[in-house]
Amino acid sequence: RDGAEQAVRPVDEAAVVASIHWRIPVAFGTNLPALGDNILYVADSLKAATAERISLQVFEPGMLIPVFSITEGVRDRKIEAGYTWLGYDAGKIPATPLVSAVPFGMEPWEFTAWYYEGGGRALTDELYAPHNVQPILCGIIGPETAGWFRKPIDSLEDFQGLKIRFAGLGGIVLQELGASVTMIPGGEIFQALEKGAIDATEFSLPVVDQQLGFDRVAKFNYFPGWHQTFTAAHLVVNRDVWQALPDQDRALIDMACTAGVIRNLSKGEALQGAVMAGFAAKGVSPRKFPLPILRELKKVTDKVLDEEARKDPAFARIRASQQAFLETYQNWKSHAYLPRDF
Amino acid sequence: MSAGDVLSVLMFVSFIVLIFTGFPVAWVLGGLAVIFTAIGIIARVDFNLPVFVNWDYSTLVADRIWDVMNNWVLVALPMFVFMGLMLDRSGIAQRLMTNFARLFGGVRGGMAVTVALIGILLAASTGIIGASVVLLALLGLPQMQALGYKPELAAGTVCAVGTLGILIPPSIMLVLMADRLAMPVGDLFLGALFPGLLLGSLFVCFILGYAWLVPEVAPVPANRQPVNRAVLADLGSAILPPALLIFAVLGSIFFGVATPTEAAGVGAFGATVLAWMNRQLDGEVFAQVLAETTRTTAYIFAIFIGATAYSLVLRGLGGDELIASLLKGLPFGPTGIVVAILFFTFLLGFFLDWIEISLIILPLVGPVVIELGFNIVWFTVLFAVCLQTSFLTPPVGFAIFYLKGVAPAGMTVGTIYRGVVPFILLQVLGLTLVFLIPEIVTWLPAQAYGSQ
Amino acid sequence: MLILPHTAFSAWVECQVRTWGQRLSWIWILLLGVIVLNVIMRYLFAEGRIEFEEIQWHLYSFGFLFGLSFAYVSDSHIRVDVVREKLSPDTRAWVELYGILLLLLPFILLVLVSAIPFVQYSWANSEVSQAPGGLPLRWLVKGLLPLSFLLLLIVTLARLSRVMAFLFGFPAGIDDGSASPTEPLSQQEPPP
Ligand code: NA
Ligand code: NA
Repeated sequence: RDGAEQAVRPVDEAAVVASIHWRIPVAFGTNLPALGDNILYVADSLKAATAERISLQVFEPGMLIPVFSITEGVRDRKIEAGYTWLGYDAGKIPATPLVSAVPFGMEPWEFTAWYYEGGGRALTDELYAPHNVQPILCGIIGPETAGWFRKPIDSLEDFQGLKIRFAGLGGIVLQELGASVTMIPGGEIFQALEKGAIDATEFSLPVVDQQLGFDRVAKFNYFPGWHQTFTAAHLVVNRDVWQALPDQDRALIDMACTAGVIRNLSKGEALQGAVMAGFAAKGVSPRKFPLPILRELKKVTDKVLDEEARKDPAFARIRASQQAFLETYQNWKSHAYLPRDF
Repeated sequence: MSAGDVLSVLMFVSFIVLIFTGFPVAWVLGGLAVIFTAIGIIARVDFNLPVFVNWDYSTLVADRIWDVMNNWVLVALPMFVFMGLMLDRSGIAQRLMTNFARLFGGVRGGMAVTVALIGILLAASTGIIGASVVLLALLGLPQMQALGYKPELAAGTVCAVGTLGILIPPSIMLVLMADRLAMPVGDLFLGALFPGLLLGSLFVCFILGYAWLVPEVAPVPANRQPVNRAVLADLGSAILPPALLIFAVLGSIFFGVATPTEAAGVGAFGATVLAWMNRQLDGEVFAQVLAETTRTTAYIFAIFIGATAYSLVLRGLGGDELIASLLKGLPFGPTGIVVAILFFTFLLGFFLDWIEISLIILPLVGPVVIELGFNIVWFTVLFAVCLQTSFLTPPVGFAIFYLKGVAPAGMTVGTIYRGVVPFILLQVLGLTLVFLIPEIVTWLPAQAYGSQ
Repeated sequence: MLILPHTAFSAWVECQVRTWGQRLSWIWILLLGVIVLNVIMRYLFAEGRIEFEEIQWHLYSFGFLFGLSFAYVSDSHIRVDVVREKLSPDTRAWVELYGILLLLLPFILLVLVSAIPFVQYSWANSEVSQAPGGLPLRWLVKGLLPLSFLLLLIVTLARLSRVMAFLFGFPAGIDDGSASPTEPLSQQEPPP
């Protein structure tokens, strides 16, 4: 027995010594609080835990590779790994919105519950396996704002003809409601909104939007973020690279990402209140969509999601899994938590 | 120095040397990307040096060209080129400039001043230097040449004024900088406005002063008529339509009808309508304008494509870290650091283009400057002026290259190099003024948004 | 000034590229029309369409990518001529030969090698635009990249044949007369 153990040992040690240096292109600037800076936390903790043996060198958006191409670059092993929002792959993998951000979707902790304990992880892996990519949930934030509007939205009719910049499935929903949805480039949003070429835009968390200055030019900030109830970010690693890693390195990276998820959620939740408190002084009024509007948005969203599920089997599979999980979870959620408005 | 550092420097030097062979700049850039990928692989495989580029990495070039392809903002470029060519080939530009010359006929340098003023207006509608330089060259160069202007002055004026577009909003450069520093782009837009106008005024003053001191560099028209009512009426009919066109472009942005990109299309459409109304639009003119638009657009984009491959490999070799470490090693006090950063950026601008510099340096120095207690809007605008200058500084000045593409026969890159020198000095003067009087930057954003 | 002789191959290639380049340049009118239409529809009828926004950059990509070859045939790509103007025609031809062999051809091959799998992947996944209501058939517009560089490869080989005809007399130059005008290697006129 002793002999066998000794024979195995040196092999393991050799594996441990191999250091990992990955260039990590990211989808969001690391100067954006919560949305973008989480990867720095992950990289730093890996560095500290391994005495710099595992180092992730972060490259700002567009420096190495266009933001929308990160997963594809990882697939072809042009780069070993990246940190991105999987929804950017929706053009090729239609089900990715379900695992990155979905209208009228789960709360952040519901999503992590589904991902870690409800089969979500296996489904995500399965979705990306044919693309030779290993996705690892590595960050999550809460709801975004429902957008910055130049005029108030009081009824569904106000969406009719509204010129709005809106991405993803939420954009399709608004189109169904008669809005004129545009995808003008990120760099032109501010000016288009200021001059009135568009009436409204969606972007991210208040703390991010504030940095972009939307609060200066659009005074109606709407909530709740129906179109993106959570936003998940993943570390995507080339599958060959991932499988060639020794077990302990995979475990280390997985741990760092799991820690990244809770740290990211905590930071995102912690920052927004103060930012919103400051809006009043700038003449911005946070508003909530009235319930009838939300009901209608939900109705159209369900229609759009059903349609997507009809077109793509993977979409249908993941959606069914999420719905089944939520149904069971609802038994707990509806009873266990205090109603806070009494 | 590491192996990557050595290769970065080598790649840099190769570029400077090879463009002087006269082989097209775009292909030198692209070719060096391949050569240095190969050298990087040899260095790693055969000499076991820590160099990270390999073929898989360099094939990212396809993704990066795709990023240029689906970049909606750049659609404005062919549209502004088309607009310039249409105004030029249909004779509208000539008529406009001739009439301006009659108006300012008595003023030496009047034609160059006209080009400068049009350039400043144009700067408010586009942020794409290739577009403004080409457009101004088409409008102004033939006329300045016909009047017997010194080619250096004509070329320098077009190049320098053409670069104002990236400083005066809207500007893609300011958008990128705001993004890098996570600051409101509105602050930067307003902050850059007065410095942009200041530089424009410096250019105008220089042209007037130079022409006054040395009359032969900018002769007045020989057959000049006195300005009377009839001349003015004539003037009106010649100037009004193109003036309306420029205001249609600006107006569609400022009244929220179109985004800056779309405004370029509106301008191109307007120029076509004008040419048609003047009965100067026949099949031949049309075909010429279109073919020329394709060629001009293509030589500009060839440089974009070559440059994206080049910078990918340079970055892979660690060129970024090399520049960053040089910058970090500067031993100065707070004001000294700002001056040193600007000077260093100015020097880098002789060889690199603004995208590279903004991506590499700005995220590095931004936090440092904020920590030192400087106003970040002020600093970023100073930085932007430095980068605007980089378009002008030889040997790698992209405004110079773009102008070369449409310059009349006989105007060589050497002529243009000489022509931009006084304007580079004016840029430095403008930079110094903004440095000494921060209110030039900070006043307007404070008025508009009540910030800082 | 350096005038390169044509070869049978180059005369045919350049003539085709010139003719088609001229015809396809009408794409700018199409682009202009789409932009104006989109602005009018959005501003007057609040009917902005993402399809129109995407068509814009599809058209523009087509224009500038195929323009690369068109501009090459007319030698419009920017050269720094400070030193070049002092070089003899022979030296210029050698620069051209080495430039094509060591810089341009390798670069074209790099782009082709990169772009083909890039398009294949898009095709294999029936990639569509990820914008709401965006256009389908993304592989088609991605395919413009390898196609345009294939064309650039052909015109580069044509130019290479001309440089070789000048330097080595092989392949043989042809007297193409007026059928296919010889293009000067540099656009410059000799000093007056
Ligand atoms: Na501008
Ligand atoms: Na320069």
